[in-house]
Amino acid sequence: MADDNNKNDDNVRIFDVETTFQKYARRPGGVPRDRAIKYATTRVEELKPDFDDWLDKELQALAEAVRQAEDGGQARGWIDAINNHARQLRDVGTTMDAELLTYIAGSLCEVLDEMAAGAKFNRESISCHVDALFLARQRPYRTLKPDQVPELIAGLRRVLQHVSTSPG
Amino acid sequence: MSTHTINLRDLVILIADSSSYLSTIIHRMLRGFGANKIMECRTSVELLQTLTDQKIDVLLCDANLPPLGGLMVTQMIRRKVDNENRTIPILLMTSDTRETAVKQARDAGANMVIAKPISPASLYDRLAWVALTPRQFVDAPTYFGPDRRFKIEGYPGGVGRRKGDNELEVAEESGPALEQDDIDNLFSAARMGKD
Repeated sequence: MADDNNKNDDNVRIFDVETTFQKYARRPGGVPRDRAIKYATTRVEELKPDFDDWLDKELQALAEAVRQAEDGGQARGWIDAINNHARQLRDVGTTMDAELLTYIAGSLCEVLDEMAAGAKFNRESISCHVDALFLARQRPYRTLKPDQVPELIAGLRRVLQHVSTSPG
Repeated sequence: MSTHTINLRDLVILIADSSSYLSTIIHRMLRGFGANKIMECRTSVELLQTLTDQKIDVLLCDANLPPLGGLMVTQMIRRKVDNENRTIPILLMTSDTRETAVKQARDAGANMVIAKPISPASLYDRLAWVALTPRQFVDAPTYFGPDRRFKIEGYPGGVGRRKGDNELEVAEESGPALEQDDIDNLFSAARMGKD
């Protein structure tokens, strides 16, 4: 697999590698790009009927994690729990045509990152993001892009700005 | 366009992500590309065990894969001398596209960074680029992995950097998130004398 062909000095070795992936992927008979993307998009589309169920479960789990954080004070573990759900919402939203959901969840992740880095705990800044996520889940908002709801986006930016300038 | 086609049939592709739903989405994309041997794992412990047990041809790994994280896992794969998967292509999937995070992925030995949320086009083009653009490996005291000094001339299918595009302006250490094209360009920054 590896083929030494160059030695710059005693401590650095530079060599060619042809991986199985490279070798096999170059074989004839693959699916051409445009068709492959079309097939892949169709297969992802088939998941969309299940997306509502998944989204509902994630939002409920997120809301529950926030409620537990509020009940349990400022223990470090709650950031990870909320962050986990927020990350999943952020990472999936746009792929499932819910770009606004990705934006709001991403903003929540930034808020949590600031708190993890030492910013002051502020439950309202988390709760308002959760409320915004529930709003974005609703049909009229589901397919909107962030620039179609400028007031909401401006509000979330102010919240993030407030958190990032509030030392713990 | 024939040279822009990749054949994923019979290649063992491992998706390492704690989210079963996201893994399912990527799994389906790969099926659409023609892949027929796709595995999934949820933790870095499971991932490292899988790599010990069998040969994997390409790894799609979440940068936040618990508990170790994708960066550390990448470094461990690259540094383990007796590991037959040491040189496999590793594509790190991440939502953190700040310049520092992308550089860390590159310096850990990742072949490519894919920005989440992932689209079929972005996934196909990055797999195609890794497959069709050979890169040498560097074995140095502080680094083992694909040569970080490489140049992207444009992705198969026309996505990515093109001749005549402006060069990437390197931002401050904690700058804003980068677009996928900027991430690609950052991987090529070393050759252009910007890193």
